[in-house]
Amino acid sequence: MHAQSPGRFVVTRIRDGLGILLLVTVVIFLLGYGLGDPAALMSPVDATPEEIENLRRLLGLDRPLYVQFVDYFGHLLRGDFGESLWQYRPALPIVLEALPFTLLLTATALVLAGLLGGINGTLAGFWAGSRFDRATNFLTVAAVSVPSFWVGLILIAVAAVRIQLFPTSGFTGWQSLVLPAVTLAVVHGGRIHLLVRSATFEEMTKPYAMVARSKGLPDRLILWKHVLRNTSVTVATTIGWEYVRMLGGAAFAVEVVFAWPGIGQLMINAANRHDFPVLQCAVIIAGAFVVATNALVDIGYRLMDARLRVA
Amino acid sequence: MLDARLGRNEDIEEARALARQATLSRAGDLFWPAVIVALVLLALTGDALAPYAPTAQDVGARLLPPFATSSRGFHLLGTDPLGRDLLSTMIAGTRLSLFIGVTATFIGLVIGVGLGMAAGYYGGSVDRLVMRLAEAQTAMPMFLVAILFLVVLGPSVFNVIILLPALVWPAFARLVRAETLRLRETLYVEAAVATGCTGPQVLWSHILPNVAPRVAVLTVIEVGHVMLAEAGLSFLGIGVQPPDVTWGLLIARGRPYLAVAWWLVTMPGVLLGLAVLAFNMLARRFEVASGSAA
Repeated sequence: MHAQSPGRFVVTRIRDGLGILLLVTVVIFLLGYGLGDPAALMSPVDATPEEIENLRRLLGLDRPLYVQFVDYFGHLLRGDFGESLWQYRPALPIVLEALPFTLLLTATALVLAGLLGGINGTLAGFWAGSRFDRATNFLTVAAVSVPSFWVGLILIAVAAVRIQLFPTSGFTGWQSLVLPAVTLAVVHGGRIHLLVRSATFEEMTKPYAMVARSKGLPDRLILWKHVLRNTSVTVATTIGWEYVRMLGGAAFAVEVVFAWPGIGQLMINAANRHDFPVLQCAVIIAGAFVVATNALVDIGYRLMDARLRVA
Repeated sequence: MLDARLGRNEDIEEARALARQATLSRAGDLFWPAVIVALVLLALTGDALAPYAPTAQDVGARLLPPFATSSRGFHLLGTDPLGRDLLSTMIAGTRLSLFIGVTATFIGLVIGVGLGMAAGYYGGSVDRLVMRLAEAQTAMPMFLVAILFLVVLGPSVFNVIILLPALVWPAFARLVRAETLRLRETLYVEAAVATGCTGPQVLWSHILPNVAPRVAVLTVIEVGHVMLAEAGLSFLGIGVQPPDVTWGLLIARGRPYLAVAWWLVTMPGVLLGLAVLAFNMLARRFEVASGSAA
């Protein structure tokens, strides 16, 4: 491993992130234009072969693939993702209208999941083997074993249909946020819990904790003064990973369940209508957030953990 | 730099975190493997164990709740809007759900273990290439690419099976690479090289058997992950298509009736959760048995 200054690491990491984003666009382009037949995808289901052929010529799809990619990429750089085949307006604003809803939902869920998993995980690791540890442990392993969209459906059945506590569909105010955010927080908080618990347990049994204990420091203070400082890095990176997981797809099925007007709902609607430009645009925009979050987590991890810092 | 990033391996971390939980009693140790055996038996025998034919409709017995009796007989888990017996359709769905989970994971395993061993053993540019690929793959929003892929190529069981390994191979590659790096320095590998074994020979007969236990643990974890991913895709309507049936598809099918027939959504989800939970618990058991858990 070669030493690298923090500044250079940041630059390298951002460059790598941009490279991966470029790769994502290449993959998306190849999927659409290389493997598939965009003219057929964009045409209505009952289009005749002549109509599809005309569209192909109109869209310039009879040109060589690399010419099309340069063309495509040039348009992307200018913010031109093509026009929605269903709403007849540019794809980018459609995606950007849905984006705040996805960010609001995932950010709320992440805060809840971080609190739930971080606090409970730390306590469970601190009281390893206790009744609290065993109970929360089984619940979290169960929570990470079920699909999040199913948790959402069950919450709808219980909290909304039976006792009509919260709205279950669409966005009509902050109450609409409760159920989808709780759904995501349960599953992602479970995974955070598991990792934080094992990190806390590991730190509590390390020699430095034993030394502190032999000096007469109560466990509570060992946790507060020493262990938390080390596990906080784990907590932070784990929360970052979970955000990547949510934006990378986990949140989208939950959006569909609650008819939440975010990117996931948009993507599935676009997929069903063969609205390819909107679908591509949504994947690239969501992908950009995933790649950026990944880079931020890496950089944050690097800067926070003194052991990885190069003087 | 590369190693710092390799620390960021969520699936392996998760596997270990699961493994470190010491909660189950002795009886529990047998319970989860028994669940898996039962599911495999259900998948293999399929319709023979189902009380009714999974597609047999009966309009007189629509949306019966669990424990209800129709003119045909007893329905343990109730019936759906066409009067089909829910338990029988769930048993029919077991086969494909497990088959996709196991097959896709196995393909990912073969790719990941092969590339991981090559990267760890040969090092240099092979290592860089493989690890870059794994990194790019992990950093890519694969679920998003999966949606696009399935929309373009059309949703089908085959396309789901060739797509899902892409989600799991990097975890195998990372784990096996790290293990191979360690094993490469051992005396017996050195001895094997000294006696004239070629690279592939060393990998096949000395490295592979030694990485196998850890790979087994990860495999069990990943089968659960893959089954959840398949359920998600099928639920969204871009995975397995009717008339094929999986648990994820059954949840999607029951969704419109959530307010009137809670069992249609609940039961397939419980079964899926139980299967994934069983795999997670089994992985923990393996890891404890192989002595690598803290």
